[in-house]
Amino acid sequence: MSCFVKKNIKSNRFITLCTAPAAILFVIFMVIPTLNVFRMSLFKRGAYDTTETFVGFSNFEKLLTDTAFIRSMQNTLLLIVVITIITMSLALIFAGILTREKLKGQSFFRVVFYIPNILSIVVISGIFSAIYKTEGGLLNSIINIFTNLERNILWKGEDMVMVSVIIALVWQALGYYMVMYMASMSAVPQSMYESSGLDGANRVTQFFQITIPMIWTNIRTTLTFFIISTINMAFLLVKAMTDGGPNGASDVVLLYMYDQKNNGVYGYCMAIGVVIFLLSFALSALVNKATERQTLEY
Amino acid sequence: MKKILALGLACMMVLGMFAGCAPAGDTQTTIQVAALNSAYGDEMWKAVCEAFTKQTGIQVQLTCEANLEDVISASMQGGDYPDVVHLATGREAGLTEQFINGNMLADLTDVLSMTIPGEDKKVSDKISGGFTETSMTNPYGDGKTYLAPMFYSPCGLFYNAELFKANGWTVPATWDEMWTLGDAALEKGIYLFTYPTAGYYDAFMFALIYSIGGAEFFDDVTNYKEGVWESDNAKKLFEILDKLADYTHPDTPAQANNTDFTQNQLMVMNNSALFMPNGTWIVGEMANAEASLTNDFAWGMTALPAVTEGGAGYSFCWFEQAWIPAGSKNMDAAKQFVAFLYSDTAANLFANTTKADGSKSGAIQPINGVAELLTEDQKMFYSIYDNGAKAAMGGFAAFNAIEGVDVSSTFFEPINSLVSGSITIEQYKATIIANTDLMRANKK
Amino acid sequence: MENQKRLPSGEKLYKAFLYLVLGLLALTILVPVGWVFLASIKTDPEFYTNPWNLPVSFYWQNFVSAWNAAQMGQYLINSVMVTAMALGLLLVVALPAAYCLSRFRFRGRRLLNTCFMAGLFINVNYIVVPIFLMLRDGDAFLRGIFGQGFLLNNLFVLAVIYASTALPFTIYLLSGYFSTLPHDYEEAAYLDGASHFKTMVQIMLPMAKPSIITVVLFNFLSFWNEYIIALTICYQSSTLPVGLVNLMQKQNAPGTYGQLYAGLVMVMLPTLLLYICVQKNLTKGMTVGGLKG
Repeated sequence: MSCFVKKNIKSNRFITLCTAPAAILFVIFMVIPTLNVFRMSLFKRGAYDTTETFVGFSNFEKLLTDTAFIRSMQNTLLLIVVITIITMSLALIFAGILTREKLKGQSFFRVVFYIPNILSIVVISGIFSAIYKTEGGLLNSIINIFTNLERNILWKGEDMVMVSVIIALVWQALGYYMVMYMASMSAVPQSMYESSGLDGANRVTQFFQITIPMIWTNIRTTLTFFIISTINMAFLLVKAMTDGGPNGASDVVLLYMYDQKNNGVYGYCMAIGVVIFLLSFALSALVNKATERQTLEY
Repeated sequence: MKKILALGLACMMVLGMFAGCAPAGDTQTTIQVAALNSAYGDEMWKAVCEAFTKQTGIQVQLTCEANLEDVISASMQGGDYPDVVHLATGREAGLTEQFINGNMLADLTDVLSMTIPGEDKKVSDKISGGFTETSMTNPYGDGKTYLAPMFYSPCGLFYNAELFKANGWTVPATWDEMWTLGDAALEKGIYLFTYPTAGYYDAFMFALIYSIGGAEFFDDVTNYKEGVWESDNAKKLFEILDKLADYTHPDTPAQANNTDFTQNQLMVMNNSALFMPNGTWIVGEMANAEASLTNDFAWGMTALPAVTEGGAGYSFCWFEQAWIPAGSKNMDAAKQFVAFLYSDTAANLFANTTKADGSKSGAIQPINGVAELLTEDQKMFYSIYDNGAKAAMGGFAAFNAIEGVDVSSTFFEPINSLVSGSITIEQYKATIIANTDLMRANKK
Repeated sequence: MENQKRLPSGEKLYKAFLYLVLGLLALTILVPVGWVFLASIKTDPEFYTNPWNLPVSFYWQNFVSAWNAAQMGQYLINSVMVTAMALGLLLVVALPAAYCLSRFRFRGRRLLNTCFMAGLFINVNYIVVPIFLMLRDGDAFLRGIFGQGFLLNNLFVLAVIYASTALPFTIYLLSGYFSTLPHDYEEAAYLDGASHFKTMVQIMLPMAKPSIITVVLFNFLSFWNEYIIALTICYQSSTLPVGLVNLMQKQNAPGTYGQLYAGLVMVMLPTLLLYICVQKNLTKGMTVGGLKG
């Protein structure tokens, strides 16, 4: 009996020693800053102020009438919806093709498609700056070969800049999700396709009736986290590529938050942070709920 | 596990101290000087600091970085101040403005009556007239100087002089002539105007404001006087800005960002556009592009045209500032350093230190007799005021940080939308009125 | 015989179409990346001509001046140091924690698991501003006691933050793998009288090697490529991506495209080389993950 207790004490000490460092670092650098976002959103504090003044919800009231903030929210939502739809459907289709069809160079395509995901977003914005350059840009000069452009396409102009951001972000994310779906699709047993093939189902039917339902759990998880990832990646890309311009046309909400930090209004900055938190939680929960299905087992 | 943990913690502490410790200073007075590393290079600052140590025996620890705000701001927010900072107002990060707004600058008025180290002249006798009389140096309007004027440079409209010569065009003296020239140029497929980024509208708009309504209109605008944007002067200003937007090269806004702005500057060089607002640094900035041009090219610079026939043209005189944070711990030595910046020795080093690429630094101090230090190229630019243009100086009055509102997004950024045609001049005006109401309420 | 092998013509057309689409997609990735490599050896005036022109000569000077004049060399050393420190710290902290959370039943286990899971939903860029303020206020406090602060502009602190904010993802991945391992090995070790620590280090960690490799790879990429936190809390002598942003947005100074593209190559080359070496592991590891930060 005593031996047992001793062993338990030993176990407990071991467990504490193992989990404590992770827990402490997690609390200091993630929990406390997160709580601070919510707390500071109720205060007013300037860049060089040592004190803060409680202002209640006044920061949030100001947000409601801040047109620049509203536009950055609209842009963010647009990016989330459009990029999610394009990236997810393309990734699923290509993954389906690459796993189902017997194509030569499969692994070559897999390796190449994954490359954008390993590049720093700063590198990506550098690459796309060269692509989108108005005069002598890679894209405009290619288009010029096929049709003689009367006027340059202004990829970073007010009308096109969001399209340009979307293209860059899809380019960045597509390969990662494609390779991931390929991994889970290859686990679907071949026999299921064979028996449905005998029933006369064609590729498209098989894709929708077997492939998609079989990897549904995986799709759900990725979709939930894709939203957070998009809010973040859009910020990183826009910050390095256009800095929100021209005149805020490509501003996104995280960038607006960062800019307000530089503007020296920390309370207001944190109020935007609260909105971002609530937005990403709400969207993740919504997607999670909307994609609830009975999981298929195999 | 315990051992590893303890070891890890010990490593953490040692590393922490190691990475955070600056080399300890000795007993001699050492001042910390933080200076912006701009197109002039950092070699001249090193030379001036050495010369100062030689003259006074005071050691100088120099920080000279291109992103100076990032480098020094956080440590200053934590209470560790350099003794002398060379950083101008009107930069995107607005660090100097934050110091003005926070009343955190040391009063430099007594520096003006100090004798320059190594010379027998007073500082005030050395600085050119007018430079210590604007809101750029006396931000609180109380007659006291808080920021020392540094490196001045006339800003104006830059153009390709060879193109004008080839077409027999003359540089317009009034805005009416400007529009006529714009129409003539457009027939040849050349747009009248472009700008690197919307931020370049600051010097341009200030000069325009001066030429419309003189110093009075300028003071009203920069102090956010109520109703100033409804005045006749403002009407004229909006009229010109609106018309100019129509004459601007349509590619401009798409390239008016931090990564592509050189493309807009290139348009003036390869004859796609006639004029752009800029400063004298443009020559060095675009030197690489000049080698690739297929057309004849030579830089030309002019002041802004006059609004009425026979009126004065204005060129904004852009200058930088040096200041002492109120938190400096070596105030006396810091003030000596500021005084030394106006010595002939320092002025010569600022203008003529050889940079790493072999060119001259070319920073011009606003002191009497500096003309002797100018190169031939510089003389063309700096002689602009001798040729009849008036100097416009000053800047926006300081205000407490406002949620969601700043100078750039109020006055300059919307120019991009104006040129793209996504907002009207009325919307632009409405934004300015709404935001300046807030700025007035938060004015220091 | 031959007739049987031949595919119907519709099928053939479909295959050709697939190759075309996949090939085009591969080109949109390979061409721009390859173009950057070519651009990095062009001289500056060449950048003002047709972008598709091949470089006139191998102009290595771009790399030399990026290394020296643009201080990319210093940035590179900083990046290597931060990434190495962060990875080391992350493994030392996350491995034991993940091991305990997946292999032991103890009080608070559910709470910890839930917290780390919740942490998956917090993107570090959401909280970069409060982290900055915390360090800044910490510096002000330290300065009051020691005369100077050392939290901001400290590569080690940057590494600690990288490691800490990577904990949820890493623990999630590792404990997922640990919980699939059979219990027999540990029990055998305990019967031999091995301590918990010895069992973990000598028996269990080697078995978790595949997932450790995955964790290292993913975190290497995210630490190496990160720039917002580095820009915010470590601005004085920062990491490679921050140096690159400075190079991209340099105003009022001579335009140096060559240096910029040389810098781009310097940032992406290590990740590309690593990827080519380990791409099998990387894509395999993704089945375990299923999400990314």
